[in-house]
Amino acid sequence: MTVPLLEIDDVTKQFGGLRAVDNTNFTLETGKLHAIIGPNGAGKTTLFNLITGTLPTTSGRIRFLGDDITDEPVHKISQRGLARTLQIKSVFGGLTVRENLWIAARSRYGVFAPFMSWRRCRKSNERADAVCEELGLMPHADQLAANLSYGDVALLEIGLALATQPKLLLLDEPICGMGPAETEKTVAKIQDLSKRIDIVIIEHDIEVVFNIADEITVMANGGVLAKGTPDEIANDPDVRTAYLGDDDDA
Amino acid sequence: MELTIALALNGIVWGLIIALIALGLSIIFGLLDIINIAHGDFFMVGTVLAWFVAETTGNYWLAFLIVPIIGFALGALIEYTVIQPIKNAAALSIVATFGLAIILQESVRATFGATPERMLPPIHDTIPMFGIEYEVYRLFAAAASIAAIGLFFLFLHRSKLGTWMRAVRFDPETATAMGIPARRIYLMTFAIGFAMASLGGVVAAPITTVYFEAGVDILPFCFMAVIIGGLGNLGGTVAAAVLLAFFEGVITSFTDPTFARIGSLCLMSLVLMIRPHGIFAGATR
Amino acid sequence: MTVQTINRAGTLLLVVFTLTAPWVLPLFVDSFWVDIYSEILIWSLLAASVNLLFGYVGLLSFGQALYFGMGMYGVAIGIAKLGFGFWGGFGFGVVLATAMAAVAGVLAVRLTWHYFAIITVVFSLIFYFLALSWKPLTGGDDGLPFGMPPLISIGDFELTLTDPDVQYFFIVLMVGACYALMGRIISSPLGRAFVTVRENDLRASLIGLNVYMIRLSAFIVSGFIAGVAGALFALFGRYASANFMFYHVSGEAVVWAIIGGVGTLFGPIVGTSLLIVLREELSHVWAHYPILVGIVVILTVIFAPKGIGGIWTSLVHRFAGANAGKGGDQ
Repeated sequence: MTVPLLEIDDVTKQFGGLRAVDNTNFTLETGKLHAIIGPNGAGKTTLFNLITGTLPTTSGRIRFLGDDITDEPVHKISQRGLARTLQIKSVFGGLTVRENLWIAARSRYGVFAPFMSWRRCRKSNERADAVCEELGLMPHADQLAANLSYGDVALLEIGLALATQPKLLLLDEPICGMGPAETEKTVAKIQDLSKRIDIVIIEHDIEVVFNIADEITVMANGGVLAKGTPDEIANDPDVRTAYLGDDDDA
Repeated sequence: MELTIALALNGIVWGLIIALIALGLSIIFGLLDIINIAHGDFFMVGTVLAWFVAETTGNYWLAFLIVPIIGFALGALIEYTVIQPIKNAAALSIVATFGLAIILQESVRATFGATPERMLPPIHDTIPMFGIEYEVYRLFAAAASIAAIGLFFLFLHRSKLGTWMRAVRFDPETATAMGIPARRIYLMTFAIGFAMASLGGVVAAPITTVYFEAGVDILPFCFMAVIIGGLGNLGGTVAAAVLLAFFEGVITSFTDPTFARIGSLCLMSLVLMIRPHGIFAGATR
Repeated sequence: MTVQTINRAGTLLLVVFTLTAPWVLPLFVDSFWVDIYSEILIWSLLAASVNLLFGYVGLLSFGQALYFGMGMYGVAIGIAKLGFGFWGGFGFGVVLATAMAAVAGVLAVRLTWHYFAIITVVFSLIFYFLALSWKPLTGGDDGLPFGMPPLISIGDFELTLTDPDVQYFFIVLMVGACYALMGRIISSPLGRAFVTVRENDLRASLIGLNVYMIRLSAFIVSGFIAGVAGALFALFGRYASANFMFYHVSGEAVVWAIIGGVGTLFGPIVGTSLLIVLREELSHVWAHYPILVGIVVILTVIFAPKGIGGIWTSLVHRFAGANAGKGGDQ
């Protein structure tokens, strides 16, 4: 039996009286593009925060490739090869696109090298350029990230995660706020990436999710409502009434 | 023992005056998100203005009326000319108020002079208390501070403006969306902060030295009260100011006063360190 | 002309001026300006230590005077009380300051934003009061003077700082070494990590950077730089005093750094020069010139938060852009 990619074991997150994530259990295997869907406030982003360590869990364990990462600091989890993008796009605005990607790439080789020139770090330079090329950001490579268009910031956000050479990539609403052309481009990119990296995506655009996901987890009220292939989810009566039904009416 | 009692009483009196000043610092910090390094100098300006009022009119009591009004006006003016324009450079607000402190100190030195002045309290009598003769003016100073603090809390919880101030403190965006004029609230807050510090100056002038660097000595104490009392916890600020001054007074009667000061500063560091990070929400803007 | 050439020319000019100042300055102004220039160089290091933390890592320290003071006292106590020689005293001062920064940093960099500023002031105040009251060791308010041991002494040949030229070039050498070190660090992967943390600390940790350790290392380097400044100033003035540990000294360093322009290597030298020259020139004319300094500080924060360095950068970029037809080569 292979080691599961990610195990969420009885995880709870309590904010005051509110249980944002409530005794959630699920396991994801490698080699699939997973999607997590659910109405606002279902606990999807909170779950990402718990996995990446930006929020401490109230109880339960989280395992990544068999190792318990529940109480590890954010940067250690990243070093294990777990990368994420943020829903509210945040890149290093005062740095150029290339510099953004460079530091993300360099994080894998250690930054505590105070006496070498950063421009001479061959591996990090190559990695940064490769990601820049792959995401089509080359024309903007020397622009300050703060001056990029919204769609390019979203791409750079993914780029930052990619440059760290992750094993698992968590994407939090990567196409939210994009126009149709940008959406199409980004979705194609994500599908492409999923061939070599495991991806978990949170997305509100149901059409996109059903198109690209191999497996869908539906969350509601901090718990897992259903899990299965897109077909299974589409035909699940619980999901239809609790979630998809609402969405059709909206 | 008599010395200890006198110093302990002095401590409580000073604690109440500090509480009055520190409340102003706390609301400015809480509402405007500004570390006001010039706050001690607001107090100093109060003492100097009180001295001027006493010198020119010969009636010290007038200062209690006039000085807070001048303080309020000065506060409003400074907020409008200095604080509002730096809202966009919040990280540098501390630098701007440092510049303000330099201006205030130097202006006072230019007009009032560099020599410290002592002034006589308007009440000379003493009264027997706990086995010692205690100055009546100090008791009056304590009473005046308590009254001012009480009025401030009444204002904060009973008046419309006070309610608005609490709303802006709690959530500026929602408050603005609800139609509360946030800019005006900021102006009022800063002006009230200055007025309170200058009133503290009036109360304290007869029992301290009036000179242009008086604010530098008092500022760390005000910050201690605000931090140890708990940021945003105005009642805590008052309690912390009084307790700290009381203990510093008692300790001073046994040993070098700087040891008392060092002890308070260590306590303040401890509070800053063990405060869970959650309270600093938005700390990384 | 590209941005880089202009900046290199500027740096070269600064270096040439600094190296020839003992001969060039007296041609134009009174020779005491050479001493003032050495003082400017020393103080600029203190401003540079503020700049390293605020300009590159985004932490505004209002307590750098503590490490400056440690450097001073290390030298004075080392030479006057412990019988160290020149280099022993100098090394002791710098090590003491760096060790102090390491201990204080472990606690301080857990905080950010205003709380970091407050805790750094508090730490410096604690040691200021300690230095004031521990008179037998520190001399308190009066300070602790010491006699200058020789820099090098081989047989009859002796170099001491009592020779003005030796003193000047010793200071230039040490200050230059510090700027070289900072320049090196800033253009290293660690320096990149500093800037990354300044821009967005959450994102920095999400790409796997240990934000705490990065901040701590910046804090220690900055304490080291402030310590060298303090040690040099002790040697320059032949004494140490608690007054230099007060928060007003820290505040002044912040002012120099801000006006010079944070986030640029040489901004602190520019800011420190400007304000110290202003002080020397104006204090005779108008005793209350600090009012002017205060106004300049406030105006800088409002209208040019990036200081003179920022104005310089944008001017150079515009100039280079107009010449080359495209932006910089960075």
